[in-house]
Amino acid sequence: MKRLPLLWILAVGLLILALAAPVLLRNQQYWLFIAIQAYFWAMLASSWALLAGYAGQFSFGHIAFMAIAAYTSGILGRDLGWSPVSGIIAGTLMAGVVGLFIGYLCLRLRRTYLALFTIAFAEIFRLAVNAELDLTGGPMGLYIDYLLDTTSYVPYYYIMLGLLLGSLGFMYWLANSRFGLFFRSIREDEEAAAAMGVHIVRYKIMAFVVTSMIAGLAGAVDHHLIGFIAPTELIIGRMSLVIAMAVIGGVESLLGAALGAIFIHFSLEWLQQIPVPASLMPKLIAMQPTLEKFGLGVGDRGLMTYAWRMVAFGLLLMLTLRFWRNGLIHPIIDRLTRQRARKETVAKRVQAAEVESS
Amino acid sequence: MSANIELDVRGVYKNFGGLQALNGVNFSIRGNELIGLIGPNGAGKTTLTNVLDGVYKPSSGEVRLNGRRIDGLPPYEIARRGLGRTFQVTRAFRRMTVMENMLVPAMALHPTARQRDFHAKAMEVLEFLTIEHLTNEYGRSLSGGQQKLLELGRLLMLDPDIIILDEPFAGVHPKLMETIYEYIRTVHEQGKAFIIISHDMDSIFTLSKRLLVLNFGELIADGDPAEVKEDPAVIEAYLGEEEEEGVPAVIPAGRLAEGPALSEAEGPALSEAEGTEEAPDA
Repeated sequence: MKRLPLLWILAVGLLILALAAPVLLRNQQYWLFIAIQAYFWAMLASSWALLAGYAGQFSFGHIAFMAIAAYTSGILGRDLGWSPVSGIIAGTLMAGVVGLFIGYLCLRLRRTYLALFTIAFAEIFRLAVNAELDLTGGPMGLYIDYLLDTTSYVPYYYIMLGLLLGSLGFMYWLANSRFGLFFRSIREDEEAAAAMGVHIVRYKIMAFVVTSMIAGLAGAVDHHLIGFIAPTELIIGRMSLVIAMAVIGGVESLLGAALGAIFIHFSLEWLQQIPVPASLMPKLIAMQPTLEKFGLGVGDRGLMTYAWRMVAFGLLLMLTLRFWRNGLIHPIIDRLTRQRARKETVAKRVQAAEVESS
Repeated sequence: MSANIELDVRGVYKNFGGLQALNGVNFSIRGNELIGLIGPNGAGKTTLTNVLDGVYKPSSGEVRLNGRRIDGLPPYEIARRGLGRTFQVTRAFRRMTVMENMLVPAMALHPTARQRDFHAKAMEVLEFLTIEHLTNEYGRSLSGGQQKLLELGRLLMLDPDIIILDEPFAGVHPKLMETIYEYIRTVHEQGKAFIIISHDMDSIFTLSKRLLVLNFGELIADGDPAEVKEDPAVIEAYLGEEEEEGVPAVIPAGRLAEGPALSEAEGPALSEAEGTEEAPDA
């Protein structure tokens, strides 16, 4: 009972921090932009966690669904003059329809085969977008209207935060409802779930549709802020980043995956140039030739890491998979919420053992 | 409720490629019967279960549950209509708590209900199975025997009319065996029909009031266990006499007839059946 308030204090604290961030970052539009992108990734990672962690459908198609919505909205705006809002709605629905189709095709595919199928789907989609010129702009990309007529990121920030909290809330409700039970039973053992009366076809497809739509919504809104999308965004490396974020955060935890994404996105930005106190800068500049041999560099504020930050995250991902299968953030949340239940069970177990031995 | 249970299996054939796994099976269940289903390895017992439960669609023939055809329906539909089964290998949901395991069938069956409406019933069943102290544990942290009990409990939450238990006694400790006996007897008295597949002849003869014997996909005997035991065809099937003309040539194909689905865990072979058949009444 004592643990629960702590969790609430943490949650409320995070929420206040998130709400106050524009004030705290008033003069730094750059970091506000990074925060918006972090929320975008958080929506992708948490919805992927619902699909892969809860429903057990290890799909590589999530970035493709994100892009389907962005392209749909962009094309409707360019060719038919749709407003960004109606484009976003249409794009999200389109992601859902394609999700339905892919979910249906994947019904009989398990694990490795599902992963291979969705990689193929995502790559074919990327190659098609790249080859096609009239509709998608091909490798030159597609310019997309801005959602708002403003140069400030503040309203965008609150929109993205609202969408993240809204989708997290919806997914939490879903995961804790009977749908969550069905998703997890399908992940655990599809045949056994079916023998227990779970309509596996319906709920597998449902998992695909819901998560594709959340990815699509995030993609459409985010690209109405960036104003541009190109096939390079669809490379498998970006999909891997979604997976890495969810795995490091905790793939069976929606909040863990979201926090993991935010943490990783900020860290990656921060690691681009690790700030160094001004007094040490001359030393760093003196070391520049040596550093460059190792693929590092010196910026105006500190150490430039270039590609090394990705290597660091690759290592973190591998260590997480090897030693902390539930991710790094989820165990903390779990500890805060499940402590009481655990104690109860242990107490009952001890009781039972005593009864048995007496 | 027991009075309403009706299962009719009419001329069911199932072949995998050229292999005839079920060769015209006919039988009916009326009311809460307690039936044992035996037969040598590869006789078609699990294939029959899979046909009844909807995993396989029969090649021909029909299955009716309470008057309505169920053959060809998907397993989840058949489960909702009142036919529940366990698997040869325990299949508890490992990364879900015991309570969550119990709630899956309840929620599947009652789409508008709330989960907490079934907590009390689940606790009752878990207490009956003596695993109520494990409610909040994950399925994977249960012992093999406890997982078996969990599976039986989960089945009760589905509230089926007919329960098929596939090898419920395989690899089970004698003490646990008692709990499972108790389970079968109690649930049977509550009006549910059972089909128990087992190589454990002692258990089969102790529990069942009617015995079906499958051999090469055919039902070679159906009746009172004591009479079936004396049936020459049954003795022949188990002892493998080669008197009937043409039979030896067919044996290899028949052994393979059930296909790969069965090869994983059909349990101890003929020798055990032979060994225990000597003293079924003990």
